[in-house]
Amino acid sequence: MAKYLLRTFVIVYLFLLVAWPVALVVTNTFDDGLTSLRSLFEDGDVMAALRLTLIAATTAVVINTVFGVGMSLLLVRYEFPGKRALSALVDLPLSVSPIVVGLSLVLVYGGRDGWFGPTLESWGFQVIFATPGIIMATAFVALPLVIREVVPVLHEIGIEQEQAAQSLGASARQTFFRITLPAIRWAVVYGVVLSLARSLGEFGAVKVVSGNVLGQTRTATLVVEEKYLNFDQQGAYAMAFLLAMVSVACIVIVAIIRPKEGART
Amino acid sequence: MSIEVTGVNKRFGDFVALQDVNVTVPSGHLTALLGPSGGGKSTLLRIIAGLESADTGTIRIQDVESTSLPPQKRNVGFVFQHYAAFKHMSVAKNVAFGLEIRKRPKDEIAARVDEMLRLVHLSQFADRLPSQLSGGQRQRMALARALAIEPGVLLLDEPFGALDAKVRRELREWLRRLHDEVHVTTVFVTHDQEEALEVADEIVVINEGRVEQIGSPDQLYDEPANDFVMGFLGEVTTLGGAAIRPHDVEVSLSPEVPGAVEGTVARMLRIGFEVRLSVLTDDGEDVSVQLTRTHARSLGVQDGATVWLSPAVGATVRTPAQTTALV
Repeated sequence: MAKYLLRTFVIVYLFLLVAWPVALVVTNTFDDGLTSLRSLFEDGDVMAALRLTLIAATTAVVINTVFGVGMSLLLVRYEFPGKRALSALVDLPLSVSPIVVGLSLVLVYGGRDGWFGPTLESWGFQVIFATPGIIMATAFVALPLVIREVVPVLHEIGIEQEQAAQSLGASARQTFFRITLPAIRWAVVYGVVLSLARSLGEFGAVKVVSGNVLGQTRTATLVVEEKYLNFDQQGAYAMAFLLAMVSVACIVIVAIIRPKEGART
Repeated sequence: MSIEVTGVNKRFGDFVALQDVNVTVPSGHLTALLGPSGGGKSTLLRIIAGLESADTGTIRIQDVESTSLPPQKRNVGFVFQHYAAFKHMSVAKNVAFGLEIRKRPKDEIAARVDEMLRLVHLSQFADRLPSQLSGGQRQRMALARALAIEPGVLLLDEPFGALDAKVRRELREWLRRLHDEVHVTTVFVTHDQEEALEVADEIVVINEGRVEQIGSPDQLYDEPANDFVMGFLGEVTTLGGAAIRPHDVEVSLSPEVPGAVEGTVARMLRIGFEVRLSVLTDDGEDVSVQLTRTHARSLGVQDGATVWLSPAVGATVRTPAQTTALV
């Protein structure tokens, strides 16, 4: 009996909080059939925004994956002073509001009175109000996701397989690519998917650093806001639908290709 | 000499793991590092393999100064207690790993893997994943993997420690036979004195980071250098103030032997083929005695009987003066 009560409660909760609102986005998108989606794809500025989001998200994911795997190895396999502080620092982007992230990036890299920005600008490299800033903000907010997936798996697989590989003659590089990476591959895949979803959806930090210049530094999420504020609700829903679909597609693909027994190692 | 360990010290923080350890292992021998858990024997093995570094001291492997060589350059085969199987590779791929790293030709690798799998009786499992093997099979795979690279020395860290008693016994007999076939210098760590006595040519007893005694199984059992070695290799009781093994105590129902100690059987316990007696002597000593079932029957020993105890001929006795004598 308690089991059914609990089950009903969870279903109602998820329905009210997640399923219903998302379903309404879908139904609103298709209120006029495919017109709203079609008009989206015919809008050059929207396409530019999608392209920018894709570039920023992909670059941020690549950076976070390489950095995340390296960082995880450092945190799990090595002992050094300040390790706990570093581990806590890695989690910071999860707890800090993205708006704060954006503002802090402006403080450092801002072109006019940032700490480092004017120097970079004098070398002809603009960060804030340009693509690099968007990538940095996106990478910042998605930073812990790969690490938090990989670290527990590294702990679980332990060090013996790597030591066995070494005693069989493998160099550090060979050990990493032949033993460690295959063992953590699922954790990396999950981390990448989470990072990608998070990066595509980033709004606050990007809004601060991008400058929101139409056709140049306006990302997909900013388009949603812009359209919504301009009473183009149909367009806003269509854009939101596109973003949601990409995330759903990521999750579905992973669910299909992941090994049956659910083993992460 | 295949392995020479000289003056090795190792600390983990405040804990002294090894203290001035000197061990030499002759070529082709099967040597056991025996001692209680936490005594430093695994640390010593890992230092020999290069998986751990010594604070001071030197390691020579096959007459090559190896103290600062990384593990992949030592040409050492290492087998872990928990197998360390490469989980994402088939059994054959596991065994081939070291050879593929060495970039050997494909057909040579295939032939060698075949030969190794035959040696460890796993030929029919070549395409399985390690997770589909039993513990004993996984450990044999790990052995084949270590042997495939033709290591100068083979190091085994509690190789049978994670297996159940029956498989353990089978595997150690099998290891002994394998060693007689392959003749690679082998060092294995164990805390099981029976395993060491049964399998090894030579035993190094290590306790609290120090080498207590090095010798053949018989030497260690018959002439233990100190109380620790005597106690660790088998059961010990006291008779007339001297340490003696319970099966070395002779029991008779009449005072036949001069100097025999008189006492009464306080407890009698039958376990399979053996009978254990607890004899309370007139001097107040509690002596344990082990007899075979048949011997006990022919003597007619019973609970509460008065018996006379004396060291058997050829018994190992350690008197309080810290010397061992063969009676």
